[in-house]
Amino acid sequence: MLQVQEVGYGYGHRSWWRSRSESDFVLKRVSFELESACCLGLLGTSGAGKSTLGRVVLGLQKPHQGQVLFEGRDLYAAGGRLRKTLRREVQVVFQDCHSSVNPLMTADQIIGEPLRNYERLSARELKRRTGELLEQVGLSIDDGSKRPDQFSGGQLQRINIARAIALRPKLIVLDEPVSSLDRMHQSLILDLLAELKASLGVSYLFITHDIQAAMTLCDRVAVMDRGEIVHLTDSPDSLRDSGQTAVRDLIEAVLPEHPADRLTLF
Amino acid sequence: MSKKWHTALKGRHTIAACSVLILFFFAVAIFAPWIAPHDPVKVDLAHKLDGPSAQHWLGTDHLGRDNLSRLIYGARVSLGFAFVIFLSSLVLGILIGALSGYVGGWLDNLIMRVCEGIMAFPNLVLVLGIVGIFGPGLMQVLLALLMVQWVYYARICRNMVISLKERPFIAAARVSGSSSWQIIRRHIIPNVQRPIVVIATLEMGWAIMDISALSFLGLGIQPPNAEWGAMIHEGTSHIRSHPELMIYPGILILIVVITFNIVGEALSERYGVAKR
Repeated sequence: MLQVQEVGYGYGHRSWWRSRSESDFVLKRVSFELESACCLGLLGTSGAGKSTLGRVVLGLQKPHQGQVLFEGRDLYAAGGRLRKTLRREVQVVFQDCHSSVNPLMTADQIIGEPLRNYERLSARELKRRTGELLEQVGLSIDDGSKRPDQFSGGQLQRINIARAIALRPKLIVLDEPVSSLDRMHQSLILDLLAELKASLGVSYLFITHDIQAAMTLCDRVAVMDRGEIVHLTDSPDSLRDSGQTAVRDLIEAVLPEHPADRLTLF
Repeated sequence: MSKKWHTALKGRHTIAACSVLILFFFAVAIFAPWIAPHDPVKVDLAHKLDGPSAQHWLGTDHLGRDNLSRLIYGARVSLGFAFVIFLSSLVLGILIGALSGYVGGWLDNLIMRVCEGIMAFPNLVLVLGIVGIFGPGLMQVLLALLMVQWVYYARICRNMVISLKERPFIAAARVSGSSSWQIIRRHIIPNVQRPIVVIATLEMGWAIMDISALSFLGLGIQPPNAEWGAMIHEGTSHIRSHPELMIYPGILILIVVITFNIVGEALSERYGVAKR
């Protein structure tokens, strides 16, 4: 479904005296594929290039090298209408639930925005659809008229998820969707995501630095380090056998329930 | 100013009182033809420079025109044109600022350099220059002030847009299929509107001052029409014998400008808006 081919991306300005060299790239020839109804976990420490890769897949940042193919069509070569149709299939949930919503809009308006962009709906129909979506993510229809400052972080993240599934996309990029929440809400949101994946048949690109969260949700796991995918596996359990230092670091970073249990978690 | 005075001026009641006063002035300006007891431009040389009487409550000027009526009609020009300048420069500034901040790149550079160029001159000097080119008259003054005022709103708006643009909800809106124009309309302008309107309230007082100043210099409204600044100018020739001709419009300008400033200060404090 999604093919990322040799993608390279670098930040900073290119100027006439200095061309962008491949050594500054934060993404270095990254390639992977993602099938439908599959969850790929993208693991890595801060600065590994996970979020940049996520933004490239979302169509927000044109890669300086390589291609992103969605169902065989190049996301960035497509123009106008085709691009808008392709974009419909890829949605997003960001890490910071508070700044992912416009503080002046009601929950209904936030969730209704993608629907308004793609479908011509009457006001009543729109209200019914947003109500359905709110219930689907575990909120009530009455929450639709509230504004973001009346919700908790967990509830806001549910609204962000509702907005992401509003268009029934084939792929949702989850950019650290639970990192800003407490432990309990993390597991609640992960449960919700697992449930939605089963009921909607959607694929996830799950970007995280939390190896435990990745293990619960993902079918496949890719580990990134300094702009490269260093480890890609179909069975997340095999991670602990990897010889890669980046993988070992991630495993070691997991906080055990008791300090003495460190490293014996898996 | 002592602390007590300071807090008193920011109080709820003060804002309410000032708002009522502003509304009162606007009402007077709007209903001038019905309120004014006399025709403001009717010359009556038999009664020139009369003191207050039952017929002319505030007396008459050097041409026998009724002072009260002239003040009431003058409010139309001062407040009306200040409001037009306020609104048009606000809209222009927000639109250009939003565009500049949102698009970025060379367009942003170009617009900001133009803004800096305009800001480099003192406002009044620039307005005088523009009026000097196009000739005196209210429309010219209006255009000149508009050309100078939008810059401030544009700059503030542009900076706010730049910080807004990086927020994830803009990226989320883009992913959910909104076009740039839809993003500006739905997300950017509503989020910059309130702080800028608050700042603009502070500017309203200055707009009235500017119009009066230009009319005082004879560049704004042309005789025989009444305007507060112009009335002060007409009063200068009788400053020794009849200082009240200058005092009445002067007091009105003072009250209106102070009222707008108090409301603006209070609002900007309440919403935590940084001044320019």
